[in-house]
Amino acid sequence: MNSSLRCWKTVRTMKTLGIDIGSLNVKAIVLGDEGVIGTGIGPPGDDIEAGARSVLELATRQAGLNSDSLPSVATGVGAKLVSITPQQKSITTCLARGARYMFPTVRLVIDMGAESTTVIKVNERGRLADWANHDKCASGTGLFLEQMAKLMNLPLEQMAKLSLQAKGRADISNTCAVFAESEVISHVHRDPPTPMEDIAAGIYYSVVSRIISLCKRVGIEKDIVITGGMALNEGLVNIMEQELGCEVLKPEAPQTIAALGAAIIARENAEKGIKT
Amino acid sequence: MIFTGIDIGSRAAKAIIIDDDAIIGSTIGDTGPESVKTAHMTIEAAMKGPGISLDDISYIVATGYGRVLVPFAGENISEISCHARGINWYYPSVRTILDMGGQDCKAIRSDAEGHVTNFVMNDKCAGGTGRFLEMIADVLETPLSEIGELALQTANEIPFNTICAVFAKSEALAHLRHGIARSDILAGLNDAIAVRCLTLLKKVSIEKDFTITGGIAKNKGMVAKISEKVGLEPVLAEDPQLIGALGAAIYARERYLGKESEDTGKVQYGYNDATGDYYITIDSERCDSCGECVSACPEAIFEIVTEDGHRPKAVVAESARKRLSILCPGYDSCSSSFKVNCRSACSKDAISLSW
Repeated sequence: MNSSLRCWKTVRTMKTLGIDIGSLNVKAIVLGDEGVIGTGIGPPGDDIEAGARSVLELATRQAGLNSDSLPSVATGVGAKLVSITPQQKSITTCLARGARYMFPTVRLVIDMGAESTTVIKVNERGRLADWANHDKCASGTGLFLEQMAKLMNLPLEQMAKLSLQAKGRADISNTCAVFAESEVISHVHRDPPTPMEDIAAGIYYSVVSRIISLCKRVGIEKDIVITGGMALNEGLVNIMEQELGCEVLKPEAPQTIAALGAAIIARENAEKGIKT
Repeated sequence: MIFTGIDIGSRAAKAIIIDDDAIIGSTIGDTGPESVKTAHMTIEAAMKGPGISLDDISYIVATGYGRVLVPFAGENISEISCHARGINWYYPSVRTILDMGGQDCKAIRSDAEGHVTNFVMNDKCAGGTGRFLEMIADVLETPLSEIGELALQTANEIPFNTICAVFAKSEALAHLRHGIARSDILAGLNDAIAVRCLTLLKKVSIEKDFTITGGIAKNKGMVAKISEKVGLEPVLAEDPQLIGALGAAIYARERYLGKESEDTGKVQYGYNDATGDYYITIDSERCDSCGECVSACPEAIFEIVTEDGHRPKAVVAESARKRLSILCPGYDSCSSSFKVNCRSACSKDAISLSW
């Protein structure tokens, strides 16, 4: 009786940390009893260990904590490269858990990162059922969009805004980022030139079609949650919704969902540890 | 009698003039933005050597990416057929050809007469193409013509785990920042590309003799790597970049003299990119053009066509060829979602999918 009461108390004041070491950004989440209490985002830089530590500090400081000795779980492509925590979980599990926390009805998670896209099917119980990943080719990733925006001499946000006004979509038939570049250039130099709005929409469509083909492999089922840095791009989301034929659910900070999932798993692990 | 083959590639335009069995003129230039103009400039340049005019040429065949836009050509023939025929003129013993061009890469099998018996093509991904090497040469601030030699000077090859041109570029930049030698970076990239060429070659099966054609065959570092991976020393033509044009010239002579020839066998449609292989193979000899696959495919990928003088057969529609991985989720996924699909519908078992 006494011990179970103590256990309850401990759980109630528990804080955990989730950290996602991505290729372009490190994301850290501090999870308290009432939800997310600290968030940190920053580049890993040349020294990935130091980069991850400074992001971690950002999150803990925001949570009003000064120690980073919280129960923690790391995930993401660089998780193995840092010595912050021995606890690691795959990005797919973390994404499924994080998305489920934000939207309990989720059945499909589409995570669109800088250098990879992952789609995850979640079952009714919120567990990972199937997944497909695309990380060996730049098409269908954030890097592709970044390169195209650079080519069109537009900031990413402006390219997104432009695409929302498109009346048509320029045909970008190639999925390869390198070949698509020449297609975009030929659209610009066409006589009369293809409107910039349509080119932007065509670029988004090219990315979206690649992502949807990935979704088809695991099966498309509602509700769909989108995560990752590219989910912030309204141009992309708009075309994705058109192509999927339904609305997608977008978390407030889509880049941090994997880190959130990691923090949830850290919490579950810690609870289990106390119970046994 | 004089015949000409002209090969308008994606990056370079080539022409060869033959008089009976001798090459009397040839040229290699850049492909400009206007195909028709490029075609004229190329043939002018080739005719300058032997000092002839268009009227002296009995027949012209065009090939390559821009072959349909050569106004003075009698007909156009695919570069795959032309490469097989061209190398057969030099080395009749060649059975396997790797053609590495400016924007694509092909593996071709041919018979003793230089007819194509099987081929695969990859034109959907810049990895391993001339464009890729141009980008890398640019990143390493080394002239394109020197990167072959430079790669051979490697002391400590850096492994690359990507053939995606975009990812490889950022990886190469990161290595440069860390002070790694350009030769080591190049050797690593060549290695990754050679592995990919090998998978392409294995699809058509490798048989002696083996050759490499196209502009990249002039890159010594790349040729050495491919030879190492394949385990065969390639027999190289004097100028491998001209082989397509030479094949076209030989076809010009044959067509003029009224010889007909046809490539038969398996046709592989599709491409491979860094994420995997996406090929649909149709065995033209087995196909009885029943049309079941056309109605079975939920994405309408197939169609029945009748080419001049040939019996009708199933093909992958032109519009679908470059989007296969997007349209088709693959055999397993498709059969779990749909009752019928191309393979189950085909009573002749003529269709197969690589994914």
